[in-house]
Amino acid sequence: MNGEEHRARLLEAEDEAAAIETLHQLGCTDGLPVLAPTEQRVARLVLASGLDGDLDLGVMGPAYGATTVEKVCACAVMAGCLPDHMPVVIAAVRALLDPRLDLTELQATTFGTTPLVLVNGPARELCGVASGFGALGPGPRANASIGRALRLAMINLGGGRAGISDMALLGHGGKFTAVLGEDEEGSPWPPLHVARGCARIDSAVTLVGVEAPHSVIFLPPGDDESMEQAAERLLATLAAALAHPGSNNRILRGGAAVVALNPDHVRLLDLAGFERRSAAERICELTTFPRAEMERWIPALRGRGDDETARLAAFRDPDDLLWVVAGGSGLYSAVFPSWCAGPHGNRAVTVSFDPAPSCEIPG
Amino acid sequence: MRDGIALARRGLPAVALVTSEFRAQADFVATAAGMPDLPRVVLPHPIAGTGRDNHRRVAEQFAERILAALTGGASDPAGAR
Repeated sequence: MNGEEHRARLLEAEDEAAAIETLHQLGCTDGLPVLAPTEQRVARLVLASGLDGDLDLGVMGPAYGATTVEKVCACAVMAGCLPDHMPVVIAAVRALLDPRLDLTELQATTFGTTPLVLVNGPARELCGVASGFGALGPGPRANASIGRALRLAMINLGGGRAGISDMALLGHGGKFTAVLGEDEEGSPWPPLHVARGCARIDSAVTLVGVEAPHSVIFLPPGDDESMEQAAERLLATLAAALAHPGSNNRILRGGAAVVALNPDHVRLLDLAGFERRSAAERICELTTFPRAEMERWIPALRGRGDDETARLAAFRDPDDLLWVVAGGSGLYSAVFPSWCAGPHGNRAVTVSFDPAPSCEIPG
Repeated sequence: MRDGIALARRGLPAVALVTSEFRAQADFVATAAGMPDLPRVVLPHPIAGTGRDNHRRVAEQFAERILAALTGGASDPAGAR
C-alpha cells in the first residue's frame, strides 16, 4: 500500500453545522454531535502527539482500516480532545491494536463489550484524567473525550457499526466512552500498572474488553464482625457479582475482569491483611464451582462428565483479576465482568508511554 | 466468514454458512477481507441452540446448495435478500 492510500479523505461542507450532518449521514459519528475535523484542528493534535501524521500504527478490525496518527487525531478532534489528551489517546490506540486484545472479535461479537481504559501514573495529572466521584461520567472532560476518541476510531477506522459489523445485541453506555484513572494516592496497594510490570513513575494505560459496571453494595462491618470477617464478606460479595449465573465469567470462564474498589473498601482489605494477589486468589476460590452445580446452567455439560467431583473455575489465573482503586468514598464498589471469548480469551493489554506533550502547542 | 476466507486463501474450496440475521455482517467481513465474492449460503436464524433435530432438518434442506456452492455452482451472492 502506498502512502496516498493511507491519507485521510477531505470532505467539504458549507459550515460546521452542515459538516456535522454530513458526518452523521456517513455513519462517522457515535450518534452525538462532533467537532468537525478540519485540517487545522487535526494538524494541531498531530503536533501534540509528537509523531508524524503518516505514521502507521497498524490496522484496526473488523474493517482492517489503516490506523495512521493523522486519522486517530481526526477522531480525537471529533471527540473534543485537547492537545494534552493525545499521549493517552495514542497509547490507548497502540493497546487497541495489540493482537492480544482481539479487537476485531470484541467489535464483532453479539456480547455487549467495550475496551475499558485504565490510566495510571503521572499522565493522570498531566492529562487531567479523573479517578474520584463520578469518574466514569458524565462530566470529567478528559475521561469523556479520550474514550470517545477511541470509540470514534473503532467506528471509523475499525468499521464497528451497529447491526452490520458490531453485532452487540443491545450495547451499553460505556461504548460511548470508558476511561478511568486509578486513585493511586487513595490506595494502600501498589497501583495496577506496577502489578502489571511497569515502574511506579511510568505512565501506562491498561485496556480490557468489559461489560458495563455492576454496582456492588457493601455495608460497613457490624459490631459482632471482625475486620477479617468483614473483608471475607466483601470478597464474597464481589465474587458473587462477578460470577453470577448470568455472567460470562461464570459460564464461558477463563477471561479477565475488573474490580473497581472504592478507597474505603481497599482500606478494609488492606487492614485485614489482603494484598492484590491474595485478594485475587481468594476471589478465584470463591468463583470455582462444582461441575454438578454448573450443569444446572450449562446444558452441554450434562451427562458428559466422568468425574462428578470436578470443579470449574471462573478465572484461570489470579492475574486475570484487575483491581483498580477508583470512585468516591462510600458503600459502593463495582465489578466489570467480561466476554471470556476470542482467540486470546479476553485478555488485558498494558502500554506505557511518555505523558508530556512534545512541544508547546499553538492556540 | 473468516474461516471460509482462510480456507479459500489456501486454495481450498470454501463456502461460508451464515444465518439470516448475520447476512450484513458476512458481507461486511468478506469485503473488508478482500474476498467479497466468497461463496456463502444463508441459513435460517437462529441455528445455535435449536437442538439436534432442527440441525438435521436444516442440513437436509441445505446440503445440496452447500455442495453446489462448494463446486462452483450457485450460492447466495452478497447483498441478496
